[in-house]
Amino acid sequence: MKKKKEKGLYLSDRPPLTAVKVGMLGLSYVLLFFYVFVILWPLAQILFASFNGNHGSYIQIGVSFSFSMKHFQYLFGKTYFLNWVWNTILIALATAALTLLFVSFTGYAYSRYRFKGRKASLMAIMLIQTIPSFAGIAAFYTLHSIIASIAPWFSRQMFLILIYAGGGIAGNTFILKGYIDSISSELDDAARIDGCGNLQVYRLIIMPIVRPMLAVIALWSFIGPFLDFMLPSILLNDPRSYTLATGLHTLINDVRNMHQPVFAAGGLLTAVPIIILFIALQKQLVSGLASGAVKG
Amino acid sequence: MKVELVNIGKKYEGREQFTIRHIDLEIEDKDFCVILGPSGCGKSTLLRMIAGLNSITEGDLLFDGKRMNKVEPKDRDIAMVFQSYALYPHMTVYDNMAFSLKMRKEEKTVIHDRVIEAAELLQMTDYLYSKPSEISGGQRQRVALGRAMVRKAAVFLLDEPLSNLDAKLREHMRVELVRLHKSLETTSVYVTHDQTEAMTMATKIVLLNDGKVQQVGKPSEFYEKPANLFVAGFIGSPTMNLFPGQIEDGVFKADDDFTVEPDQADKESLAEYQGKRVVMGIRSERFLAGEAEKNNISVEVDVIEMLGKEQLLYCKFPNGKECVISEPGHFKYAIDEVHHFHLDLEGLHFFDEETSERIG
Repeated sequence: MKKKKEKGLYLSDRPPLTAVKVGMLGLSYVLLFFYVFVILWPLAQILFASFNGNHGSYIQIGVSFSFSMKHFQYLFGKTYFLNWVWNTILIALATAALTLLFVSFTGYAYSRYRFKGRKASLMAIMLIQTIPSFAGIAAFYTLHSIIASIAPWFSRQMFLILIYAGGGIAGNTFILKGYIDSISSELDDAARIDGCGNLQVYRLIIMPIVRPMLAVIALWSFIGPFLDFMLPSILLNDPRSYTLATGLHTLINDVRNMHQPVFAAGGLLTAVPIIILFIALQKQLVSGLASGAVKG
Repeated sequence: MKVELVNIGKKYEGREQFTIRHIDLEIEDKDFCVILGPSGCGKSTLLRMIAGLNSITEGDLLFDGKRMNKVEPKDRDIAMVFQSYALYPHMTVYDNMAFSLKMRKEEKTVIHDRVIEAAELLQMTDYLYSKPSEISGGQRQRVALGRAMVRKAAVFLLDEPLSNLDAKLREHMRVELVRLHKSLETTSVYVTHDQTEAMTMATKIVLLNDGKVQQVGKPSEFYEKPANLFVAGFIGSPTMNLFPGQIEDGVFKADDDFTVEPDQADKESLAEYQGKRVVMGIRSERFLAGEAEKNNISVEVDVIEMLGKEQLLYCKFPNGKECVISEPGHFKYAIDEVHHFHLDLEGLHFFDEETSERIG
């Protein structure tokens, strides 16, 4: 990068800063740095705590630092951490896949077709959104026992996937519909004349165009199971079948089994799959989020 | 391919009225038929019905005598160019053009040959591998044409394809489209609201208004023999001057205080309109400068538009009624002067004021 300094030439498109504005700018920077600090400080604490061998069962303030991997060793050796990771990734992937598949259909259908009950059902979806899925926990519980009594292979994890995907489909249908609405329907017409059937129009024309938004939806539905604690902690009863959030929680919720630094180490590793996915989808995400911001 | 519309009508879901109805039309093989009309007259609907994108509520659509009402768009042997071009943004120009052939599972070599052939004809070989977002509006227009061409369809449908181009390019593409139509030897149906495009390109014009066909015919017929007051007012620029008045003793008495004695042919057709209300139309170039024995008017020049070859005089009658007169550019006129003109009797059009239909 070459940067030539052009002296005496004012090249910015904005009016020059006055003393007051310089002050305001300084204040903005102070606020921004404070904000960054608020976010980064706890992350740094987790990082240090998980590598600090001087911590015992609890994370204490004022303990000196000595590098050690013993918390990670405990995590991998004495807990079901790998099971939890595996479970969570499986659930997250299945949720993302199911959500994407169904949202593709619903978003496309709501955007392009006129049918009876279209408005009413859209409104219903929106209203149902306002009720947290946790409110239905008793119903979920009964539903699962009914289904499991008929089909014993239907595990509680599968049920969890259905709940996550169901919630994701409802909300994301709106987002995708809005995004597809912004694509001229003349494209559909052109494709139809070129020889596409309904599904081909979506698969060959619409889907490649909405790919950024699909990437955003995929990421959101993938992150969901990593963050949720309540549903798996109630639905899942075997520690081996726990997801990361519930599994790690066992390390801090009981005095007899208190391992706060190990919890920190687990939390740190939890971020890895999400970061990998984020990097993989980065190119799509940036344009998707940007256009999402404009379209609302 | 011959395209026939028999008593076609369209009613959209949730609308009380038919958008268009009772449309009868025959488009001969290799015709360049322009469907012309103001916006909202149902011309695009008509085209989309021919394409199969909108359903046909009543009537029959026949291609070479075969009923096509329920046939899928892809099986109608048509190609269409859209107003927004509707290029697939994620594909290169080449892929855009090859797409329809790929969907028909043509051989790769055949596809390549056809695309290259179309690209050469439309002079767009330079940007075959660019995305639509990387090329200019005029180039996109060409791609849209090329995409329709490679199919070698029997009917070519164009929905206001030039309306997004600048004036210069539009003029150029008009000529090119006509040339293309000739070389492809297809039947073309072209929808536009621009009468210049219609007059210059069509072998046949269909003028629609309010969902009804106002007139069908050759471009010259539209100018010389408009079928009713709507056609008279729509075709031609500047707009035809219309004077309401009355026939008395074979003489037209305008409400604006001048009289016209029509020529023999007009007199005969006006015979039964004795004492009835009629509207006389005259185009701006049919006013002749100077006084004659009869059929004179005297008007005050209000505004002058100098176009070089000719000049348009926006004049006022003593009672305030306006009219447009065009005279050669080298004549000398000035604003606020009163001038005398007489009317060219061969250039008069008479319409029944009640029905607004042409008389004679």
